Amino acid sequence: MAEQEKTEQSLLKKSDVVKSFWLWMFFYVSNYNYERLMANGFVHALSPVLKKLYGHDKEEMKAALQRHLAFFNTEPHFGSIIGGMTIALEEQRAKGKPISDQMINGLKTGLMGPLAGIGDTLWQGTLTPILLSFALSISAQGNLIGVGLYILLMPLIMFTIAYNLWMKGYFLGREGLQKLMAGNMIQKVMTVAQTMGGIVLGGLTASFVTLSSPVSFHLGESVLKLQADVLDKLLLGLLPLVMTLFTLHLLNRKMKSTTVLCIIAGISGIGAALGIF
Amino acid sequence: MSIDIFQAILIGVVYYLGFNGTPWLTNLGATIANRPLIAGTLVGFILGDPVTGCIIGAAINLPYLAYISAGGTVPMDPGLAGTMGTALAMAAGATPQVAVSLAVPIGLLGTMLFTLRMTVDIAFVHMADKAAAEGNYKKVNFFNVVPSQLFLAFISILPVALGVYYGADIMTRIIQSLSGTPLHVLTVIGGVLPALGIAMNLRAIVNKYIILFFLIGFILQVYFHIPIITISIIGFIIAILYTELSMKDQGAR
Repeated sequence: MAEQEKTEQSLLKKSDVVKSFWLWMFFYVSNYNYERLMANGFVHALSPVLKKLYGHDKEEMKAALQRHLAFFNTEPHFGSIIGGMTIALEEQRAKGKPISDQMINGLKTGLMGPLAGIGDTLWQGTLTPILLSFALSISAQGNLIGVGLYILLMPLIMFTIAYNLWMKGYFLGREGLQKLMAGNMIQKVMTVAQTMGGIVLGGLTASFVTLSSPVSFHLGESVLKLQADVLDKLLLGLLPLVMTLFTLHLLNRKMKSTTVLCIIAGISGIGAALGIF
Repeated sequence: MSIDIFQAILIGVVYYLGFNGTPWLTNLGATIANRPLIAGTLVGFILGDPVTGCIIGAAINLPYLAYISAGGTVPMDPGLAGTMGTALAMAAGATPQVAVSLAVPIGLLGTMLFTLRMTVDIAFVHMADKAAAEGNYKKVNFFNVVPSQLFLAFISILPVALGVYYGADIMTRIIQSLSGTPLHVLTVIGGVLPALGIAMNLRAIVNKYIILFFLIGFILQVYFHIPIITISIIGFIIAILYTELSMKDQGAR
């Protein structure tokens, strides 16, 4: 198998790649900063590999460290395939294959965006809210089992994904990248993630955004309740839906999230004070 | 309930451990200890009542359910709301509902800490640059962890410990005076806030039909009260079918 061939001719042991993976899991944003985001963490993760490949050659080592201190930002678990692939490329390069800085940087910057898109949608947008709502449904009354399940399940799922992608990235190497880029694999996974994420977020909006109106109109003898007699007849949960889409609209106008937060808190707060909500 | 200085520091440590970028629990710590449900339970343990901590933490967690931090931005800080919010609410004997209204403004302060940290860390990455120019990878790793974490521990543990230690009395007074319209206003705001996390997630999804899929999930829940796990299974099925069909279409063209 390809995996075996690889180990026969490789400069790195599997344990180096595994060690590198764990360094990534622990330290990828230890020095998170606005200028280069995860760059320092990426170098840290790669350091055992770089030591093995370039430890004997100060100039190569210097070049490698500087190469990987460039801007890097992705979703760390789904994006971990980039780390594995980079290791494969560095190994090839150390063996004298013609792999340029540009090729390595191109791989990193080319993949970090799409994988961040997939990863953030699946992890923060889908998995985390699902696990949290599950844990909340158990723990809201003080049952600690929900908390325990969340603490167990989250690492179990995310480490499995991240570890397998990291190793896959390494064993597939450059060919893997070409495969990924040539077919529509990435686009497919992205579309699945987006579609599923959208549906889950719709469900979450209905469950957890709450807004209703106590306003009622007196028309002679009869009373018209705005919420029960008008809004609920149109669409259940209309106000939470409108509020969420309005928030999205504000964000789409490139407003800062903190500004948007103040606007929606202001509207609902003033509305509440005036008795509209 | 009073909070002694030792407990206050431990609560600060819980906040530090859940801060995005703390390595000690791997970075998943930021998704675990940072969520108010978990943070609240841990604070409860420290204060000797994990069950109350869990109940209050669960309530505070609601606005942060679909919380997203992407591309180095945070709109609000669930970690600060979950640790300091739970601790102060427990000290003041607040109900979960009141706790959430008070925790969210506290959580806003956390965004300043995040910005401060992301800015100061730039200095350390420049030091790492110098180490890289010497070809010294150990030094590069040192700058990744040691100065950045010392600084982060300082700016996260200290304010929380002080806030919890000195804030308990003030919070008790605020909560006792809170009733009628101000309480109603805070409750309404607390109910609307989950919309921000959800909208930020939606914005991150660049897809022409995203609003349509969003409406499917919304209607499934609002009219049929389907649990969120089941909605996600239905969502997965629809996603596979939609992807296969739309990609097939692309291939044929």
